[in-house]
Amino acid sequence: MTVLTQILVSGIGFALPLLVAAAGELVSERAGVLNLSLEGMMLSGAFTAVLGSVLTGSPWLGALAGVAGGLLLGAAQALLSVRCLADQIVVGVAANALALATTTFGARLLLDDGRGHDVAAFDRVEIPLLHDIPLIGPALFGQTALGYLCVLVVVVTAVLLSPRTGPGLRIDATGEDAVAADRTGLPVRRLRILCILLTSAMAGLAGAQLALSEVRAFSDNMTAGIGYLAVVAVIAGRWRAPGTVVAAILFGLAQALQYALPALGVAVPPAVLAMVPYVIAIVAVSGLTGRSHAPSGLTVPFARA
Amino acid sequence: MTALLDLTGLGKRYGTVDALHDVGMTVAAGTVHCVLGENGAGKSTLCNLVGGGIRPSTGEMTLRGTAYSPGSPADALSRGVAMVHQHFSLVPTMTVRENLLLSGRGLRPDVQTLRARLDRIADEFGLRVDDARARVAELPVGARQKVEIVKALLPDPDLVLLDEPTAVLDGAEIDALIGTCQAVAASGRAVVLVTHKLGEVSRVADTATVLRDGTVAGSGRLSEVSVGQLLSLMLGRDTDAAGGPTVLDPVAAAGVGLAARRPIRDRVEVGPTAMTARGLTVTRPDGNRVLDGAGLDLRAGEITGIAGVEGNGQTELVRVLSGALRPDAGEVHIGDHPITTAPPARRTALGLGVVPEDRHHEAMVGDMSIAENLYLADLGRFRRHGFLRRGALDQAAAGVIREFAVRAPGPRTPMRALSGGNQQKVVLARELAVDGLKVLVAAQPTRGLDVGAVGQVLTRLREAADRGIAVLVVSSEVAELLALCDRILVGYRGRLLGPVDATAPTAAAEIGALMAGTTA
Amino acid sequence: MNTTDLRRAAFHPATVAAGAVVVAVLVGLVLAALAGAAPGTAVAALTEGMVGTPYAIGKSLNAAAVLMLVAAGFVLAYRAGLVNVGGEGQLCAGGIAAAAVGTTLPDGTPTAVALPAVVLAATTAGFAWAGIAAALRAWRGTSEIITTLLLNFVALAVLSLTVHEPSLLRQPVTSSETLPQSAPLVAGAHLPSLGLSRSPATIAILVAVAAVVAVGVLFRATPTGLRLTALGHAPEAAARLGVPVARTRFLALSSAGGFSGAAGGLLVATAPFVLAEGFSSGFGFSGLVVGLLARGSMTALGAVALLLGFLVSGGINLQLVAGVPATAVSIVESLIILLIAGSAWWAATRRAAARPAPAAETSAPELIGATR
Repeated sequence: MTVLTQILVSGIGFALPLLVAAAGELVSERAGVLNLSLEGMMLSGAFTAVLGSVLTGSPWLGALAGVAGGLLLGAAQALLSVRCLADQIVVGVAANALALATTTFGARLLLDDGRGHDVAAFDRVEIPLLHDIPLIGPALFGQTALGYLCVLVVVVTAVLLSPRTGPGLRIDATGEDAVAADRTGLPVRRLRILCILLTSAMAGLAGAQLALSEVRAFSDNMTAGIGYLAVVAVIAGRWRAPGTVVAAILFGLAQALQYALPALGVAVPPAVLAMVPYVIAIVAVSGLTGRSHAPSGLTVPFARA
Repeated sequence: MTALLDLTGLGKRYGTVDALHDVGMTVAAGTVHCVLGENGAGKSTLCNLVGGGIRPSTGEMTLRGTAYSPGSPADALSRGVAMVHQHFSLVPTMTVRENLLLSGRGLRPDVQTLRARLDRIADEFGLRVDDARARVAELPVGARQKVEIVKALLPDPDLVLLDEPTAVLDGAEIDALIGTCQAVAASGRAVVLVTHKLGEVSRVADTATVLRDGTVAGSGRLSEVSVGQLLSLMLGRDTDAAGGPTVLDPVAAAGVGLAARRPIRDRVEVGPTAMTARGLTVTRPDGNRVLDGAGLDLRAGEITGIAGVEGNGQTELVRVLSGALRPDAGEVHIGDHPITTAPPARRTALGLGVVPEDRHHEAMVGDMSIAENLYLADLGRFRRHGFLRRGALDQAAAGVIREFAVRAPGPRTPMRALSGGNQQKVVLARELAVDGLKVLVAAQPTRGLDVGAVGQVLTRLREAADRGIAVLVVSSEVAELLALCDRILVGYRGRLLGPVDATAPTAAAEIGALMAGTTA
Repeated sequence: MNTTDLRRAAFHPATVAAGAVVVAVLVGLVLAALAGAAPGTAVAALTEGMVGTPYAIGKSLNAAAVLMLVAAGFVLAYRAGLVNVGGEGQLCAGGIAAAAVGTTLPDGTPTAVALPAVVLAATTAGFAWAGIAAALRAWRGTSEIITTLLLNFVALAVLSLTVHEPSLLRQPVTSSETLPQSAPLVAGAHLPSLGLSRSPATIAILVAVAAVVAVGVLFRATPTGLRLTALGHAPEAAARLGVPVARTRFLALSSAGGFSGAAGGLLVATAPFVLAEGFSSGFGFSGLVVGLLARGSMTALGAVALLLGFLVSGGINLQLVAGVPATAVSIVESLIILLIAGSAWWAATRRAAARPAPAAETSAPELIGATR
């Protein structure tokens, strides 16, 4: 494989979990909830996925366990932020710390070496013909079965919840002006809870993809900031699905470059590349180029007297 | 006529305070029922209880004979009760069509059904939505109101609640609204209209309930009771033996939207010009000119009024004068000093006092104490070695509280604990105490105040003018302006028309004509 | 006490916090048992790690000092209505500046010169880093939650760059085992210790307490404090009453960054006196949590900072002595935070019900919608 193809392959490999998590987070943020706990949700998903796979010997059951792991944290976020009106940022940060500590602790306790031996993982499924397309073939059509499922989930979510659909419109209204939405008869709290649960399920799936398709084992803090990057992708994508997808892919490529460039002998320090996604997002959100529009009620809890 | 809505013993308690207690009311299908009361009587609380926004502390509600206790606006809607809010329930950043589609269910937004329903509403009630693709934030207030009402009628409700709908409408729009109410009632539904404007009631209602101090002062069919009796019930005192509004205390009349014949002020001594404004223009992002070359002169000792409903540029004019909004063109001067782009602190230093329209957001910091609110702009006076002299601050505030008869436990009381009237007194006290005050601009100064507070505010404004200050009062209550001002301008589509001599007997008619856009 | 007083006491923030701690500790004991340590052993190891030796107490105080500084800055900005999520990045910026100055000063520089220089550099760097987000918020209205969050990651990347590049701050590479970190700071820049025997506690805690007190005094007793409060509660009214809104917002958020930067400088000026990746180890975020949980009370801020600081030390000892992974303490810590955060609403509404409410009639009774 040429170097470029290799970069594309690893870039898409990084991008896929990022994309799934970001697509999920987009839904929550459109409803007005900022899930900084996305990182923790992904990590939980990765851990439970590996655990499930080790215990049952089936990668699919492992993936299911991953989704459940994300949902667990999502339930906590939903309960605390929506029902108890706790500050979304505190809950996000604390939940991440909790997830990191719990998965590290759990790995010590339940997985061999904290990593898991013989983790039943997914194998690459190369789609005939399409896989041979030069340059992008291997990257796009050499994913695992779970990987293809991830893409499907992203597409279905984007289509079913686009602002043009009924549910999509209602989600947008909840994030823009929760009070008006409530008076219109929309079940604001229920909507937000459902969005958070969806986000966490998708984040769990993303964690499972990372653990069972890419790395094929668990390691402490294996998500290493992808969750935050997913939140950033939503910002850089200006809270619209197409932008988020593009941002996620770009960020994945940037991460791949981080590792590839030194190997190529290019003298760019990896740290500089690591900065790129965040700088892009800052420029996007500061409106230095065009208008950026965060949902007006983002991070504001909803309470009726 | 069958009873649609029945309330018994309804009450709402906040802590140890009863906003409502022992309220009983019956609304029959096919009627328009008015809930009357002056500001603070509990009307909005009642409306929100029926509309599902808050839960009652005591009492029961029944709808068509079955128990009715909505836990949310959604519950109320599912039982056929729709509410048109005073402060709207439309998402400002979305378009009209998107807002109307929000009420639907299902995956695909059902544009067909929406269009069919809109047509039906237009036929039945004469309410047509003009531009469905406009963003709500860019619509003038009257148009937003119309969309609100259409939205409330979409789910085909049995009961429609309107909470103070006429505050933002001009004469023609009020007529249209009244027509709509009557049409809705005629179709077999019930309309509950909550208002403090007595004048409207007599035109539209079949039955009425009068609230005072949180409970029912009286109720009955309008064919059996006079306007004067209603007024007495609202205010809790006899207006006069004959019961007619014509010899009414002008302040009381202003408080309930009735025209009074006799103005408060008798003589006027007008001094030099204190403030001038020329060619003020403010353009909205969509190109609409909300202020279109407006100009005025304010003279010392004179009380100038600006009449006209919201949406004609008065709000923006006041914001330009106070420094909250920068005009795209035009100039403002206090004496010889240009202040068009000056920050608020400079304007205050030059002798400008402003009582803003939005008291809660622009005039006061609710969580801070009376003393802190009074002197926030003037803290230097209480500073020593970099620290604040709290004792002196509180003492000065206590003096002001006494002088203005503010009902509060003390200078450290947070502003939000005061009633609307007392809050306004504090705001007024602060503005009147500006060093070297030359111009006082008051925007909707009596909005939301009970009759007693209205009187005190209007008296203070008149006293300020007697002291030689140029006073500008912006109000949507023409009666109030006629009672208080020397001359009245009319805000219309971003310009200021007039002036009309307030003492002239034809003043009311002239103002009405200008508000409608016809020149007298 | 009558029942109203009892109810009010039961839902007082301090009681709720204590309750949260108890619940979380119970969970911790369960975790310890899972790891094979008897509850008694675990508790003993934890307490010993927290307060058992002067060494432990000293380490805890140093950690608490960093948390207090970051939290004090956070609270300052929060008063003006701004949420500073960028403590971590500002810490890094401060640390980088401190190391830059501290490694380039000549060897014999006296403490009276070196230490202030280092701390000043750190504070300025933090101020400037937050200033980017502050300027964007003050003059363009960009959400500071997002920009400060993003700047964290940029700063972490800059830190990584700085300690990996010999041309920047990396110590001279003599072998393949040379760690990516800065050269040690000159002796003059080392934080003086408190002088307690066998305790690594430095004067950092004194600096931190002074900062917390200063912020408290600023809020209560100065005109600036009043203007900040007004700005945070009612920006339009504050503007009308002469508060220069944009400038005040800029200064408030940048100052918060200055506090965090100073904390970073203090961290670098503490043993082992080098700048390395991960030196900030989550202090920025923890400081934010302390700030939010304190809910505007400076005493609560100090208390929570101390609690978290001591827990960190306790955790290390727990692992060493009882064999329970230090992550167990992290779990307990996070649980405490989540429980306190989740109960704030509940406690507030219960207290309100137990207390006579003020006679509030708003002119336009609005349903309480967005709260912040």
